[in-house]
Amino acid sequence: MPGWFEVVIRSAVALVILLLLSKGIIRKPLAQMTYFEFVSAIVLAAILAIGSINLQVPIAYPIMGIIIWGAVPYLMEWLSMKSLRFRNFLHGRGIPVIKDGKILEDNLKKQRLSSDELLKSLRSKNVFQVADVEFAVLETSGDISVLPKKDYQPLTPKDLNLKVAPIKEPETVIMDGKVLDEPLSTIGYNRQWLEVELEKIGVAIENVYLGQVDSYGQLTVDLFDDKLKVPSPQEKPLLLSTIKKCQADLEAFALATDNQEAKQMYAKNAKEMDRVLKKISPYLQ
Amino acid sequence: MTVASQVKQCVASLKNVEATLNSLAIRSENEQAEEAFRDACQTTRRVLADIEKRVGELEFEEPQYKGF
Repeated sequence: MPGWFEVVIRSAVALVILLLLSKGIIRKPLAQMTYFEFVSAIVLAAILAIGSINLQVPIAYPIMGIIIWGAVPYLMEWLSMKSLRFRNFLHGRGIPVIKDGKILEDNLKKQRLSSDELLKSLRSKNVFQVADVEFAVLETSGDISVLPKKDYQPLTPKDLNLKVAPIKEPETVIMDGKVLDEPLSTIGYNRQWLEVELEKIGVAIENVYLGQVDSYGQLTVDLFDDKLKVPSPQEKPLLLSTIKKCQADLEAFALATDNQEAKQMYAKNAKEMDRVLKKISPYLQ
Repeated sequence: MTVASQVKQCVASLKNVEATLNSLAIRSENEQAEEAFRDACQTTRRVLADIEKRVGELEFEEPQYKGF
């Protein structure tokens, strides 16, 4: 067998092994690999490379190497899933570096982390002042996770005691001008409904690049022709303003009439409409 | 514009509100939202009945503005 032909065969086999190995690897971004996993991956790659082109090495050697370097890290991963202790040994644990707003210098020193590096990592988390931090952990990947003090955390509707409408994920029903029947029927609509909705906003389906329906049955579209203006959904703002108008009208009637009975009736109903307004306004935002 | 026609306009708006709320209640997937819309729809219907009664009284008092 000529040398070049052996290289072809070895390389092909190496590629197949690489494909099988990469299938077996769990989805994990490269940046989150531990040092151990990272080095074993490099060693595996080196063995594959040497095995496929270095013809002086007998074929059994690289295969043995691949088995050991592939199986042992896999086995260790499996063991670490089973045992907490082994996991801590293999991956280590997060080390707190800031607690109660105070930097823990001892832990920093142990991890050979200088104050400059700490500040740099904090800045990358959008924290520029150490005093704003309640708690920070140095993760095993070298990242720092930061919990800012409560008054430096972003404001949420809950902080404001604000009631917000629950939402579900929108469903994509039109792609590249074609109707997707399955998602459409998942949310309980059909093509006729879609045609009516498109008619309402006055666009042809061929012109729609992407169309999505939210959990309140509102269709929003993006068109191929970017010069065309699509009217934004009007139903909810319109409803809100109509309710407001009715409520104001009823109050005006209550003021205007001289009939005591009618006055009371108008006032009561104005109050009722106000209640309606308060109740549904979170859902109409 | 007479009082009667103003009240009639309000009735029309209320009918619009009721219908829209009903349609939103049917289309909402979320139970909480559906409940809120349905409740609002019922309240609007009650208000509507009251105002329509008042329209009848007004028409009785001013028969010359009867009808639309």
